[in-house]
Amino acid sequence: MYKLLLSWRYLKTRFIALASIVSVTLGVATLIVVNSVMAGFVDQMKNRLHGILSDVEISTQMFSEIPHPERHVEIIKQTLGDQIQEATCVVRTPALLSFDVRGRQWTQQIMLLGIDDETFGKVTDFEPYLTNEIKRNSFSFDLEEDGYDQEKFKGDAGWKYRRTRIEIQRRIEANSREYDSLYDNAANAFYAAEPSHVETASHENTNVQEEQGTRFAPLPATLPDIPPTGNPVEEGIASQSPQPLTGDQSAENQASNDGSIHRISPFDPHAKFRPEIKSEDLFDPMKDHRTGIILGLAISERKVELPSGELQDAYLIRPGDDANIMLTTIGESPKPVIENCTVVDFYSSNMHEYDSSFAFLPLSELQQLRGMIDPMTGQGSVSTIQIKLKEGADLDAVRDQLIAQFPPNYFPDYDIRTWQDTQRPLLSAVKMELTILNILLFLIIAVAGFGILATFYMIVVEKTKDIGILKALGAPSRGVMSIFLGYGMSLGTVGTGVGIVIGLLFVKYINEIADAVAVLTGQEVFDPTIYYFSEIPTVVNPVTIFWVAIGAIAIAVLASVLPALRAARLHPVEALRYE
Amino acid sequence: MSDVAPSNPLRIDRESKGGNMPATELHSAKSSSSKFNSAPLRIADTSVMSVSGLFKSYGKGAVQVPVLKGVDLEIEEGGFTAIIGQSGSGKSTLLHLLGTLDAPDSGEIYFRDQRIDNLAPRQQEHLRNREFGLIFQFYHLLPELTTLENVLIPRMVQDGFFRYLKNKRSYRKRAIELLEMVGLGHRLTHKPSQLSGGEMQRTAIARSLISDPSILLADEPTGNLDSENGAEVMETLTALRKHENLTVVMVTHDDQLASQADRIIHLVNGVVAT
Repeated sequence: MYKLLLSWRYLKTRFIALASIVSVTLGVATLIVVNSVMAGFVDQMKNRLHGILSDVEISTQMFSEIPHPERHVEIIKQTLGDQIQEATCVVRTPALLSFDVRGRQWTQQIMLLGIDDETFGKVTDFEPYLTNEIKRNSFSFDLEEDGYDQEKFKGDAGWKYRRTRIEIQRRIEANSREYDSLYDNAANAFYAAEPSHVETASHENTNVQEEQGTRFAPLPATLPDIPPTGNPVEEGIASQSPQPLTGDQSAENQASNDGSIHRISPFDPHAKFRPEIKSEDLFDPMKDHRTGIILGLAISERKVELPSGELQDAYLIRPGDDANIMLTTIGESPKPVIENCTVVDFYSSNMHEYDSSFAFLPLSELQQLRGMIDPMTGQGSVSTIQIKLKEGADLDAVRDQLIAQFPPNYFPDYDIRTWQDTQRPLLSAVKMELTILNILLFLIIAVAGFGILATFYMIVVEKTKDIGILKALGAPSRGVMSIFLGYGMSLGTVGTGVGIVIGLLFVKYINEIADAVAVLTGQEVFDPTIYYFSEIPTVVNPVTIFWVAIGAIAIAVLASVLPALRAARLHPVEALRYE
Repeated sequence: MSDVAPSNPLRIDRESKGGNMPATELHSAKSSSSKFNSAPLRIADTSVMSVSGLFKSYGKGAVQVPVLKGVDLEIEEGGFTAIIGQSGSGKSTLLHLLGTLDAPDSGEIYFRDQRIDNLAPRQQEHLRNREFGLIFQFYHLLPELTTLENVLIPRMVQDGFFRYLKNKRSYRKRAIELLEMVGLGHRLTHKPSQLSGGEMQRTAIARSLISDPSILLADEPTGNLDSENGAEVMETLTALRKHENLTVVMVTHDDQLASQADRIIHLVNGVVAT
């Protein structure tokens, strides 16, 4: 009883000891914050890595192929039994993506994935990362009318954007033709007024003049307005649509006016064998789009920091725009192929590595392009089979089962691994980092332990007389020792408890604190352009907190052992003699 | 200040103690002795403590300073013995040896016919806690605790946590009673730093009595007090001694104080002068 009472009284009256425990508090708080933030990062990273990588995959080199994927999937399903949830076939290939940015060409390398739109979303977390909300719910490679992120694209995405853009392009083309004819007419007038020039002109010029005189139509009274940019175009087009465009009209437009095209030349001997082409069979960019492609958001999105400190998004390409992909076929003599595609959506997993390089095409389309379809059977080959396992299945065991099924001596070109194998270097680096940080931070608490030791030693010296009194009154050495051990433990507990509270509060309000620090120092603590996280992710692990608390209290108790032993060894008469 | 006059109704419920007595050899004599005697003074036939051939020297290695050079004496049950001597005569050392705070170099100390100087530390601790009441020149109160808590400390040391909580009520009652007897009933929650020297010493007296000891060992109890406070402390001590029928051994260098004792032992150069 006296031990508790005295420990408690010493705790209440010896503030210097509380000061010595502040370092324990800070150490504990730091440990908790560091662990939570690191765990948050690891958790997010793992989620994202895992999300796109699937649990286990069988892959081959990107310019090779796994033939008969259906048969493979069948065997895999037999091998794994009820551990497997779903498997999907994927073709992966490096490719070049090129498109037009304000009249300038943009070309970059991408990782092209041909995916099966039915099973791919079941194996990986693909659909939740799409920016279009309609696609998130029911996936397809079609351009959508609606559902694009209003905040990002401000309405300039999807079908409406595509129609507007094509309309503007056509108007610009029409107008440029008008300008051409304007100059031609002016030239005609000039030559008509001054025939002397004609005589000096060459023979060809005379011919041209003659032709021009008959060929060019007269100028219309007014030029159609070229709307500036953006949405107002929509109304402009609607009001002016009845006005016919002058000059040559494009084949598509002619087709839409007449209903059909008769490309019958009198000189074409095969003309009568040609089938009649219906206008609805023709490609109309207003109604149709090319093969749908989904791009990683970071391919298009550029985050630019304005002088005001705000982040502005700029887009190189938007859903509804067309782009070319260039890739090679597989086989003995790879040949380049170019395909025109239409961007239908973006993929945003917030893993910069993926978002800046991945592009998704329909599996069959990519197989076709790369020549992966067997002309005899019509079956396509793939480069990767991704497998999702049921909850609780042992990844490594499944991998070993598959390796046994596809033994390396028969399938030396197959690479069978779990997502953790794939990302092992990264995951182990992070783990190592966390371990070292924990060791260093525990050293801080150990330093605090020496502070406690010194302070306690002084307190024991100061309390020599009291120890003598207690012993004179019959208190055993063990009891006196436990006063100081209890004192150390209660100080450790208080320090640790306060540290845990501070640490948890810090973790809870870490984003607010980061903002406040940014305001105070003018230095962005957590730059979203670097991390692609909008805020700092944290995960509080109760087990970690438990061990941190145990460790810190143990250090405080250990630090009080030496002073407590000294107190226990004091001789009562010697102790009482001090006065 | 000195409310504690012999006229005060000092009701002390000695019956309550019976239940808490550990049944050890040490207590057999105690329980047989009549503690309920209302007679003011009773000279016992038997000695409660006896010392023979006590030697004690301080110092290290070759430089030994002999303090006690063969002390023999007997302390009578219920008596008031004063040990008197000059500074350095070894009287405090003798008292420490009697109180088992220190061990003699040679010689024997008997308490109720049991040798105590060579007992195991546990048993010595038990003796100090239950049988001896110790009073020091410099009061030796614990500065962090209140007057009441200081008085209760021996009881806390004696009992384990749960046992103390169980008996807390009766202990507190007894402690308040004792503090009232020494005239400090109004000072229960004061810290030692808020008390005068006389009040501190009276608190120390109350503390020495909380375990109902059979012998009170006082080391210059008035040595650090002015004459007025010293007189008050002596008055309290005498009154309590009479009321509780205590055996008191007091060390002092003051002849006048010693004259109040039944028996005076002169200690000169480490031996008892007769």
